Amino acid sequence: MREKVIGFQLKQIAVLTAILFFSFSCRKRGCMDPNALNTDPNAEIADNSSCSYGEFDKPEMLSNVCDNYILPAYQEFNNKNIALHQEALSFSTNPSLEGLTAVKSSWVAALISWQKVSFLDFGPADYYTLKNQVNIYPIDTNTIQNNISFGTYDLNLASNNDAKGYQALDFLLHLPGTNEENLVDYFNNNTNATSYLLDLTENLMLLSQNVYDEWVNVYCSNFKSNNNSNAQGSPISNVVNGLCSYYETYIRKGKFGLPLGVFNSFTQEEMPHLVECYYYGQSLPFAKAAIEGMSDFINGVHFDTPENRLGLDDYMDFVGATHGSNTLSTAINNQLETIITKIDALNDPLSNEILTNKPSVEDAYTELQKLVPYLKVDMTSALGVLITYQDNDGD
Amino acid sequence: MMAIRKWLVNLTFSEKSIAPLVVFRVLFGIMMMLSTLRFISKGWVEELYIQPTYFFTYLGFDWVKPFDVMGMYILFSVLIASCVFISLGFLYRISTVVFFICFTYIELIDKTNYLNHYYFISLVGFLLIFLPANKSFSLDTYFKFTSKKKYVPAWTLHIIMFQLAVVYVFAGIAKLNYHWLFEAQPLINWLKHQTDLPVIGPLMKFEFTAYLFSWGGALFDLTIPFLLLNSRFRIPGYLLVVLFHGLTAVMFPIGVFPYVMIISTLIFFPESFHEKIIRSLRILFKTKNKKEVSSTPIKEGNKKNIQASLIALYIVVQMFVPMRYLLYDGDLFWTEQGYRFSWRVMLIEKVGYAQFFVHDPTTDNKKLINNRTYLTPQQEKMMATQPDMILQFAHHLRDTFKDTIIIENNGQKIKISEPKITAEVYVSLFNKGSRLFIDSDVNLSKIHRGFHDKDWILKNEN
Repeated sequence: MREKVIGFQLKQIAVLTAILFFSFSCRKRGCMDPNALNTDPNAEIADNSSCSYGEFDKPEMLSNVCDNYILPAYQEFNNKNIALHQEALSFSTNPSLEGLTAVKSSWVAALISWQKVSFLDFGPADYYTLKNQVNIYPIDTNTIQNNISFGTYDLNLASNNDAKGYQALDFLLHLPGTNEENLVDYFNNNTNATSYLLDLTENLMLLSQNVYDEWVNVYCSNFKSNNNSNAQGSPISNVVNGLCSYYETYIRKGKFGLPLGVFNSFTQEEMPHLVECYYYGQSLPFAKAAIEGMSDFINGVHFDTPENRLGLDDYMDFVGATHGSNTLSTAINNQLETIITKIDALNDPLSNEILTNKPSVEDAYTELQKLVPYLKVDMTSALGVLITYQDNDGD
Repeated sequence: MMAIRKWLVNLTFSEKSIAPLVVFRVLFGIMMMLSTLRFISKGWVEELYIQPTYFFTYLGFDWVKPFDVMGMYILFSVLIASCVFISLGFLYRISTVVFFICFTYIELIDKTNYLNHYYFISLVGFLLIFLPANKSFSLDTYFKFTSKKKYVPAWTLHIIMFQLAVVYVFAGIAKLNYHWLFEAQPLINWLKHQTDLPVIGPLMKFEFTAYLFSWGGALFDLTIPFLLLNSRFRIPGYLLVVLFHGLTAVMFPIGVFPYVMIISTLIFFPESFHEKIIRSLRILFKTKNKKEVSSTPIKEGNKKNIQASLIALYIVVQMFVPMRYLLYDGDLFWTEQGYRFSWRVMLIEKVGYAQFFVHDPTTDNKKLINNRTYLTPQQEKMMATQPDMILQFAHHLRDTFKDTIIIENNGQKIKISEPKITAEVYVSLFNKGSRLFIDSDVNLSKIHRGFHDKDWILKNEN
């Protein structure tokens, strides 16, 4: 007890000293968060831990992220997959070089649109096991080739999860050992391959349609009106749990950690063939899209415009969560920016970069790793997402 | 001096109506039966005792192991039967022993599941073994297994009241810390998520509310046993009990604890109140109260002395255990040395994240462990903030990898004889930012379990 009393006095002295110190310094510190009550227009240095916030409108935040991020993002995801299937359809009727190029570029666009919704790993996405069906890698090239040569398969079987989706398309559209002309010939001479291509894009289209419809017709209204406190089963707990586990497993680990060898037992030997879009040879734009999507989502930024409204960041500010001398939301945003910078410093193909420029990839991984406790520890704690599986007495 | 002695003797051996004890027995049995049924219906038997492959045992109780599915359900069935028997006062002595053993055994399997109110129930189960709660309104007296009594020695009632008072007063003392009183932590954060509560929700956005709840909660805990003991304040005191526990039940996922306390504190009500309950129950079950045999007061002074000493010993232990944390250096909430079994309820907001590495000492290659291979989500979550469990898990990894040959993906063989285990753990206490929790370089496989100071825990500098 005595220690704590002394601590209390020290703290007061520290606060007083700090006040004295800053009142004499010439550049004005103050709250620079526009969402705060006491935003200081004259402040030059952000001291957002001094911000105070009014009532937090949780329903408004849920509406904002649902209407302005989740729904448009899934709509875009659905549209891009429809477009991909359309391109595949026209390519299949008359395989040509132009057709192939069009399929490829709509494939890239669709995969980018997937990155923007991938971390919304709860509700409809969870129900349709979306992430296991659209973007599993490494793919099983043997199964793909068998499926094509036999011509009979059921893409709805879980056993075909690693023979379909964007990464199976990656393989088909960048078939190793072929150039573009060869590839067009391949599809011209192999109707099984062409119909497999079509079945893959159709499967993606249907899945994206299902999830989008589910959000629009059913889930969105529940999501916005479910006003439980944040323990298990509430929208915020679903969002945070989905976001944290997806980031940890599929972005940090899947996109970087695994190919880098961090998870490869004792030798930690690099496994470059495990990168996303190995055959395409471009992995970084997709990783970057996922991180940028997460950043927009956390900050309550609209999907189509840069307008920034209530998001998880404001909720963290409202409860006064801090990290070091920063607010937690600032700390998380800084870390997301650092990650983007580190990814920008890398060159595709990532599979090659891992072997030739390993320290830079390790650098990026280190920053990706640092974000895990920010999200899993600080954010869950701040948002009151008691990850409770049992009764709890708070200890 | 004589007056104190007389008071103590009176408190222990004067004659009291058996009614409060009987009502407590009946209600406790029913409550435990319902709470066990709830536990089973939630699927927790499988989730907590069948699915995990590793269990965090208590020091000295490593021999406690879960049974297989069949065995666990038999154990829970026996537990339920014992609850029913206690309530009916049937084969009371055997039933209380069986209840205490089954319940405590289940709790000892995995400390991940530790809750203060489970500990409370174990203690009450233990006390019931020695209390003559079956000497009236019971099947034991109906079948004449035991003699009827109208009066019992006062200690049999007072020991339950004491136990309840210990829960409240130590919970209150635990709240007398800087974070609780002057930062309103952790309520200041928790309450802000409750602005959607009916009626009182809008109050939750004010920091003042958190301070009010913090100070009010501490004051409630520290004074409620005394209010309940005082005939003038008993009724308002009990209303406070209902209000306080009702509120916590609505706001936090704390299971049956609030109800256990609301029911248990009825024991503070006067004899007449409990006699009325028994009379109504008799009418309900159409049983008649045949002639009461008045108790024969215990005459042998020797027996009384032994009883008194044992009671004193129990009291001393109950006072010491919650204060044992004073024997450790460092911030209790950070290190949690001496934290359990101390009635610290809803005191801290703490979240952690732990990564374990198994090192091959010959090459210093290390393998990153996926905790979920060995632990359930609940176990992983609890382990990540509690140093004794971090150490236990490290030892489990040591034992798993000791003297093994690992064949790597590239075919390379790695022979490990004495693995080194390290952990990188981040913990956030009271939302002040995650920070490194233990020394990431220390070889946990060489650290012994025990009550000695864990000097590998880093200082909390927030």
